[in-house]
Amino acid sequence: MRKSWIVALAALAPLYAQNIVIQSATIMTVTKGTLQGSIVIKDGKIAEVGEKVMMPQSATVIDAGGQYVIPGIIDCHSHIAVDGSVNEGSVSVSSMVNIKDVINPEDIAIYRALAGGVTTANILHGSANPIGGQTIVLKMRWGQDAQGMIFEGALPGIKFALGENPKRPGNPPGGRGATQTVPARYPATRMGVEDTIREALNQAKAYKAEWDEYAAKVAHGEHPLPPRKDLKLEPLKEVLEGKRYVHAHCYREDEILMLLRVADDYGFKIRTLQHVLEGYKVAQEIAASGTGASTFSDWWAFKIEAYDAIPYNAALMQKKGIVVSLNSDDDELMRHLNTEAAKAMKYGGLSETDALAMVTINPAKQLGIDSRVGSIEAGKDADLVIYDKNPLSDYAKVQKVLIDGRVYFDRDNDVNGRPAKALEKQKLLDKEKQSQPKPAGGRGPAQ
Amino acid sequence: MKLFGILIGCAMAAGAASNNSVLIRGADVYPVTSEPVKAASILVLDGKIAEIGLKIVAPKGVRVVDGKGLRVYPGMIDSGTELGLSEIEMMRETVDTGELGEFMPQLRALASVNPDSEHFAVVRIAGITSVMTFPAGAGAGAGGGGGRGAARQYISGQAALIRTFGRTWEDMAVSALAAMYVQFPSLGATGGRGGPVPGNIAELVGETGARTFTEMMRTYQQDVAKLADFFDEARRYQRAKAANLPGLVRDLKYEAMLPVLDGKLPVAIAAATPRLIHDTIQFAEKQNVKIVIMQPRQLGSAAAELKAKNIPVILGRVLALPRGQDDPYDQAFTLPAETYKAGVKFAFGTFDNEFVRNLPYQAATAVAFGLPEDEALKAITINPAQIWGAGDQLGSIEKDKSADLMVATGDPLEIQTQVKHVFIRGQEIELSSKQTRLYDKYVNRQ
Amino acid sequence: MKKLVPALLVLCAWAMAGNPRTLAIRNAKIVTVSGPVLNKGTVVVRNGLIEAVGENSAVPPGAWVIDGEGMTVYPGLIDSLSTVGIPSLAAATAGRGGRGQTTATPATTPATTTAPVTRAMGPEDRPATTSWVLAADEIDPSDRRIESVRSAGFTTTVTFPARGIFGGQGSIIDLASAEHAGEMVVVPAVGQYLAVSRGGGAFGGFDAGFPRALMGYIAYIRQVYLDAEHYKLLNEAYAHSPRGMERPPYDRALEGVLESRRILLPANRVVEMDRMLRFAAELQQPVILYGMREAYRPEAAPLLKKYGSPVLVSMHWTEAPRDPDPEAYRTLRSLENIDLGPAAPGLLQKAGVPFALYSDGLDQPRDLQRAVKKAIDAGLARQDAIRALTLSPAEIYGVADRMGSIEVGKIANLVVTKGDLFDDHTQIEMIFVDGKQYKPAPEPPTGSGRGATEEPGVSQ
Repeated sequence: MRKSWIVALAALAPLYAQNIVIQSATIMTVTKGTLQGSIVIKDGKIAEVGEKVMMPQSATVIDAGGQYVIPGIIDCHSHIAVDGSVNEGSVSVSSMVNIKDVINPEDIAIYRALAGGVTTANILHGSANPIGGQTIVLKMRWGQDAQGMIFEGALPGIKFALGENPKRPGNPPGGRGATQTVPARYPATRMGVEDTIREALNQAKAYKAEWDEYAAKVAHGEHPLPPRKDLKLEPLKEVLEGKRYVHAHCYREDEILMLLRVADDYGFKIRTLQHVLEGYKVAQEIAASGTGASTFSDWWAFKIEAYDAIPYNAALMQKKGIVVSLNSDDDELMRHLNTEAAKAMKYGGLSETDALAMVTINPAKQLGIDSRVGSIEAGKDADLVIYDKNPLSDYAKVQKVLIDGRVYFDRDNDVNGRPAKALEKQKLLDKEKQSQPKPAGGRGPAQ
Repeated sequence: MKLFGILIGCAMAAGAASNNSVLIRGADVYPVTSEPVKAASILVLDGKIAEIGLKIVAPKGVRVVDGKGLRVYPGMIDSGTELGLSEIEMMRETVDTGELGEFMPQLRALASVNPDSEHFAVVRIAGITSVMTFPAGAGAGAGGGGGRGAARQYISGQAALIRTFGRTWEDMAVSALAAMYVQFPSLGATGGRGGPVPGNIAELVGETGARTFTEMMRTYQQDVAKLADFFDEARRYQRAKAANLPGLVRDLKYEAMLPVLDGKLPVAIAAATPRLIHDTIQFAEKQNVKIVIMQPRQLGSAAAELKAKNIPVILGRVLALPRGQDDPYDQAFTLPAETYKAGVKFAFGTFDNEFVRNLPYQAATAVAFGLPEDEALKAITINPAQIWGAGDQLGSIEKDKSADLMVATGDPLEIQTQVKHVFIRGQEIELSSKQTRLYDKYVNRQ
Repeated sequence: MKKLVPALLVLCAWAMAGNPRTLAIRNAKIVTVSGPVLNKGTVVVRNGLIEAVGENSAVPPGAWVIDGEGMTVYPGLIDSLSTVGIPSLAAATAGRGGRGQTTATPATTPATTTAPVTRAMGPEDRPATTSWVLAADEIDPSDRRIESVRSAGFTTTVTFPARGIFGGQGSIIDLASAEHAGEMVVVPAVGQYLAVSRGGGAFGGFDAGFPRALMGYIAYIRQVYLDAEHYKLLNEAYAHSPRGMERPPYDRALEGVLESRRILLPANRVVEMDRMLRFAAELQQPVILYGMREAYRPEAAPLLKKYGSPVLVSMHWTEAPRDPDPEAYRTLRSLENIDLGPAAPGLLQKAGVPFALYSDGLDQPRDLQRAVKKAIDAGLARQDAIRALTLSPAEIYGVADRMGSIEVGKIANLVVTKGDLFDDHTQIEMIFVDGKQYKPAPEPPTGSGRGATEEPGVSQ
């Protein structure tokens, strides 16, 4: 049953070789300009980038003449590869749940993201709760198991959510008061959302004090009984200690400002504001707090809190010095983040490099993985995408995608492998049809 | 006599100085129905294209727009929107599509269009000058009349072809009656925007749905018969009316069906699969009505039938996920090329108010995956104009057509291209919208 | 001889009233499972135990003799994951055992769980945890399924209180007609039943409380084990020197968790197997995975061997949909599951992964027989099929010293057939549970889909 995969893998076999050279391409490094040249890959890392490179012994050559290479695209907001619901919506603080526990490496969305040039994705809990679950960064290593997908060394995160979504369960369709038929979950307003977050952080602070006291006693040579480990408060304790990134879904300027001030009160920084469609209205406050912003290119008007969204958001925030990334939050949009980046050129006049940065080095910085990915520089992971045309053109197609120096997507192989896959499936369908009893009665066309 | 002459002179002068005449000079003109002409000029008089040529002298009082280094195209046309009828998708109070009722042909989308919807400005400054706006089913998640747990809706009402600029909806109407939107009964799962849920548990345990195919077929045939019955009733009314039968009560629903039965008004009908396309074509033939197939996701065996019978098709989002788990990742991207190769006439629709401005970028993806560039352009200009019965007025740059034009810095299908001028009926549109105004407000905020 | 057999059987039925304590089946083919097949041999049963088995075993004087000419004697079949004996858990068997990550039948809440929810239940309330429950304490000998399942050749079930998230511990039950449930219990506690969904809709109302998502279930279980560890620590400290220490509260849920020597976790897809095995290792709990629908896939066996855990394979094979829409989308994976699912046991056998088969809601003899036959047709050797329903489950649950094969000293659980067990035309002639004989109940005319037969059997 895996024959077609085996055939495809066999065809790729030479590209598993440790040394690869991508030759004669237009290389858009993002951080060090654009050049015509080659990239040498050794042991999964970029060894050399230049107009002329040292050809290693026994290297597999990928001739990329006339083609473009960019760093693997990083999607800072995604919900793919998750088994079960992305929301633990039964409680308004669900920090005890962890996306890491439910990674589904067989989600076809991973492969489709690869085919769109994505090599790394920040997989988040949904936005049903003011404080959601723990999040994880994955590389799109299609074919590996769940553990194999995890971006080793990326700091863990947690999802916060503000605005309409987390207060929706507080406003059930039956209405409130006498007409209420469905139980409502606190909070029902933005005020309650703030309160829920403050309350949880308050509890986390007390929890941290308990554990700090315990640690101090142990350091003193005492043998106290440890406090109860609370999975809900543990990750929040880590937030207070700066060991866990907070990614906060938000829309309106008031809630954006609110959260920045709450974080100040509790002594930590929000790592990224997600969606942040009104970020342009409070850009200087966001810039002052050092928080990154991950937004849509041009979505608007699907909710009232998105009515003031403008496609210039990313450019306006970037001009104020905020590190801005463009994300998808959608299985389909994820497949063309390159053209989403191009929209930042149209709306806001960003340069090609600055636009491309929004889906490469910027999200890498936001996720704290920029020492490993996000640009084409020697020493970084060989996460690369080869396009047949300039990737900022919507006429461009992804040809190949490498992660850690290994080809994970090859359009030619994908296209050539389709007949065999279809045949395999048809065989099973035919086999099943033969063993089925004939259905009774006729099935005429509709009239 | 002299007074009369002065009055005429003034009128002519006034006409000549009116804001729906203009000379666009020295641009590369892309008429669509003929070869592009470099460094040419277009003279617009009283809202119509008067002349296209290499050297045109501006008549007295006609404003000149410098087109040097720019390109002129016909204004783009989106064949699938709910513009003016739906403001914020998730706020029902702002949504006027998807009425209740099973057979509602009398509903007019046009008269519910809000000309001040913020969407219009956003869309027209991007170069989209006309759209089809539908009473149901043309917005993401709208799902037609049945969307709120109501009984199924067979006929949703009259879709309109409107310009994206006008003081009133009357002003905006190109054609009040462009199509009758019919929701053909569905048989089984036709697939949503994406594929099945990853790790499809239900399939794993062999549960692919509670109802058997026989049951589904029975219900389907009953529903189709019900739709056919309504057409029959409308035809009886038509005959009675023609025969001037005494005591005939004017029935608004049947009245609305008359142009459909006369073959003057096409039925726009969504059919996603070859089987459904075939069934809707058969139905249309039996009822002797014209149809336009909306949002097919797969042509398959129906392609030959569509071509043979000259039935046009409106393609939905090109940027969509494949129908099923194992399907090629570019399945939706290659459908337009496939449609073109099968010889079927088609136009593009975005089917989502928020993304109407991205219409040309949907077309661009189709080009990347095999559709010839000029066909892509036709599918957002002349094809929809012709499909929706306005081929004599819109869709190309030709003498006597309406001056609905877009002037851009390059290929409109490329994202980085900027739209510099938009003309609707010869009148230049101010390139501002709610979004540009918010930009202006905040760009310099200290 | 042909006339004598029915005559003897009549005598047998008559003699049942006298409940002979010693009996012998003579001249039968004996499949011991633990050793070579005896083409012609004798089994002697006394006081519910196997006294002798062999080609030439002597029949004790006064023993009631059964002529086993033309018959085959097998060890009684063991269903390694069942709810038979707890009638309230039979309710949803009309559907399927398997949805999502659990193959348990969805539960009706018994009186022992917490009161109906009036406010949102958070994790600290631990709804759906009844870890202290032992199936042995809930066995109702009048459960109609007992007779039905026994008529298919099963003498023993490992019955679990399959409800909620921590259902409680399963018990090994011999399917004897007993006045008191306690007489049926072979081992009262064999492991904690865990589920990671509550069936009947994961989105069943906000007031169903935490957890709702799969990751919620995992966090819930993890917290319970953390609490159990902490509880143990506190109690040990308190027991050691209570003076001056605030006493830790008594928590029967945590006691139940601490008492369980192993856990059962559901896993159908390979992704789930990987997830659950890692999770059990994190919890430091010996684990048995149940479900195993994708065990046929090439990645499955190596993964299972790496962890060394035994698995329970559902016999409720994924079937092709009946009368489907010809245009309905069928994924390659679902087609493979249907085509290759029954090959799983054979493949696990070849790979040396310890496994047993279980009924997963099937309780009609014909359905059970067909299910096993499917696995045999797909590559499981017949003797391995027999072992997967006898000695293997006994080994997995640590009772191979007293059941699962026909050996001297073991419990006299036997099934006697005319024809090879699991073949389509084979008849089950008699079943022995704890040395007592039972006749199979007559099959309902249309077979599967109905509950246990209404007609009274000849058995007691």
